[in-house]
Amino acid sequence: MNKEKIADKLYIVFRILCIAALIVLFVPAFNPARISDLVPKTSSVFTCGTSYGTLTQNFLRAFNRGWVGTLTMQMVFGGCLCMIIGFVATAAGGCMSLGTNKLKKLGALPSVIGAAVALAGCLMINWAANDIQGTPNPDRVVPLKPAMLSLYIAISVLILVLSVVIFLLLPKVKKEEKCHMETKYQLFLLFLPFLALCMVFSYLPLLGWRYAFFDYKSGETLTMSNFVGLKWFGFLFQNEATRADLVRVLRNTLAMSGLGLATSWCSMAFAIFLCEIKNLKFRRLVQTFTTIPNFISWVLVYAVAFAIFSTDGFVSSLLINAGVLENGTNFLMDNSHMWIKMLAWGMWKGLGWNAIIYIAAISGIDQQLYEAASIDGAGRFQKMWNITVPSLIPTFMVLLLMAIAGILSNGMDQYLVFETPYNTNTITVLDLYVYKLGINGGRVPLATVVGMFKSVVSVALLFGANKISKTIRGESII
Amino acid sequence: MAMTKQEKLDQKAEKLYEKKHKQKYRRTPSDWTFDILNHAFFLIFTIMCIFPFYYIFINTISNNDLVRKGAINFLPQGIHLKNYVAMFNVNDVGTALLVTVGRTVLGTVLMVIASAFVGYLVTKQEMWGRKIWYRCLVITMYFNAGLIPWYLNMSMLGLTNNFWAYIIPGVVAPYNIILVKTYIESIPGELEESAKIDGASYMTIFRKLIWPLSKPILATIAIFGAVGNWNSFTDSLILMPDAPALHTLQHKLYTYLNAASNLKSVMNSGAGTISGAAATNVLNAKTIKYTISMVTVLPILMVYPFMQRYFEKGIMLGAVKG
Repeated sequence: MNKEKIADKLYIVFRILCIAALIVLFVPAFNPARISDLVPKTSSVFTCGTSYGTLTQNFLRAFNRGWVGTLTMQMVFGGCLCMIIGFVATAAGGCMSLGTNKLKKLGALPSVIGAAVALAGCLMINWAANDIQGTPNPDRVVPLKPAMLSLYIAISVLILVLSVVIFLLLPKVKKEEKCHMETKYQLFLLFLPFLALCMVFSYLPLLGWRYAFFDYKSGETLTMSNFVGLKWFGFLFQNEATRADLVRVLRNTLAMSGLGLATSWCSMAFAIFLCEIKNLKFRRLVQTFTTIPNFISWVLVYAVAFAIFSTDGFVSSLLINAGVLENGTNFLMDNSHMWIKMLAWGMWKGLGWNAIIYIAAISGIDQQLYEAASIDGAGRFQKMWNITVPSLIPTFMVLLLMAIAGILSNGMDQYLVFETPYNTNTITVLDLYVYKLGINGGRVPLATVVGMFKSVVSVALLFGANKISKTIRGESII
Repeated sequence: MAMTKQEKLDQKAEKLYEKKHKQKYRRTPSDWTFDILNHAFFLIFTIMCIFPFYYIFINTISNNDLVRKGAINFLPQGIHLKNYVAMFNVNDVGTALLVTVGRTVLGTVLMVIASAFVGYLVTKQEMWGRKIWYRCLVITMYFNAGLIPWYLNMSMLGLTNNFWAYIIPGVVAPYNIILVKTYIESIPGELEESAKIDGASYMTIFRKLIWPLSKPILATIAIFGAVGNWNSFTDSLILMPDAPALHTLQHKLYTYLNAASNLKSVMNSGAGTISGAAATNVLNAKTIKYTISMVTVLPILMVYPFMQRYFEKGIMLGAVKG
């Protein structure tokens, strides 16, 4: 009995180790395969073990000149692959440890084998690392000591020892015992792969926030030597240029979101007026055609804009035919009233679609209200104003609060496609600014800082909007 | 089918109601003006929404010389389909089309299966730590690390210049999972209970019971997923800088709309294929741009009218929260 308790405690350590082993496979900083400077800095064990092309992308010359033997790199590739397979096997053992005694005992098998395979992979990389030291051209190849190899060896050995110890601690399997796992763990294990995907793509990026504290240029690694603390946070506000940029960008963002908020009643009006049309066929037609623009991308909206407003587009050729213009004008290059134009395109794209939710709400209004109002002598507009509008206000408020929460996130697609060298001052919104700063400009830390601010403020706004909704309507919006 | 019946009944009731209404109701002059203005507004707005597509379309099928002169405004002239033929002969448009179709089909199928399965799993109260894991999923809808950390993460995972970058991150879609979960919760629990008593496992219940029963919602999320995949542009722009062969159609369109240098190479290769057929009817910058636009937008225009029902259902479901 006591032995089983010890085994249960050891299992906790064992499972944590299994998870840790899987995580380090994906972190480039812990890559023991970097036995030479030619191995890409941003590669992890996972990339090295799954793509030989990525691993050896800089080795073409080294192979041709005979500085490095192909066998060496194949050993690295094989070693990484062994580590991946090994750690996946130990993870499978970890999963089996959630079952009954027999399943636990069985689970020791993949754990031991997996740890052994991973260990073999470590040895292969170690061999390759020693082999590459003897390169005839150490200046170019720059052999590195894979310091992280000891970490992998430690993890593998620990897993190996733990699984053997646990195996011995567990009681013997009785004959009538069956492999079984409690339902709650079965369901969890079915869910686990998807949870892992969610973690990898939604939570793992949070690790990237650390770049805000380093003096990082793309392609380099983070070391303590380029740790700069809160430098970039101060820089953003103290540096004249970035401060001016930020003010400009925030003004654009808030102006365009503000215009969007100020006109958000339009889709409600659209729905109310559309429902005043009694010819159902016409109404259906309008609804179908006005919702189409919502389903085309911003690039296509730009293509439409291009077809209508460019130098040889529809408007130009009409005006030329009418004799108003001599030569075609590219209206898209005109940078006046950019905010209004962006709003107009947004409306063109979204108005019909946003109205659908209101149309549904209108059809849900009790018809007796209208009849009662008619009997009391209310006219058409009185009914609209006094019955329809108040019934739609709750829906309107929810959507408005959501829009307020998203005031900083107007997306970048629209502004990216409509941006020209002439209008960049009035069109760059926060999302686009981050993109241009970080991806195009390569100023990763600064862009990360701006992004962090945006994320935090957005979440604060969302909770604020939710709080307001709770106090006013007694319902949360998230 | 039950829905359509219900809809028909609704429409009938509405018509009856209107007939009754009309008899009582006399239009005043102000009503007349309002009605006329109202109809006019919606007519104009509808035309504004649909005319650009028509305009682009007639310009792609009309005589290219007339198009270049800007003579095609309302009606097509000298109809031909050579532009489309030439477009598919241009290598990179064909590849882009292939990539886009591939990601749309594969991404949507995987997303729908995963959403259905996860949506089913999170309805199971007995799952270990269900509440925590479900919240972990839902929070990601409202909070993200930002563009740059996302990009660095993708490149760390080796998902730059890699086709799988289009597929894998989209498999787990929290919003769709919530929709499916809400839908499955509305299915009577007795069905599952009786299947369980008959000895069905969770997988069997999912395959034989939950999957067929939740088809309406799955169709809705599939359509939204497919449109989203077809339209996505930024992931191609950011993640595939060194792999032009993996650019999506939207990205290609963006490139063609902006760059003149690309156009020249296309004109050369495109002109080579059609010049023999019609020397006077050569592709020009304008027709190339319009033709790619049309190739990109046509699938949506063709699918939309048939699927409108599902789209509208989708937005109504959006009002339901997890």
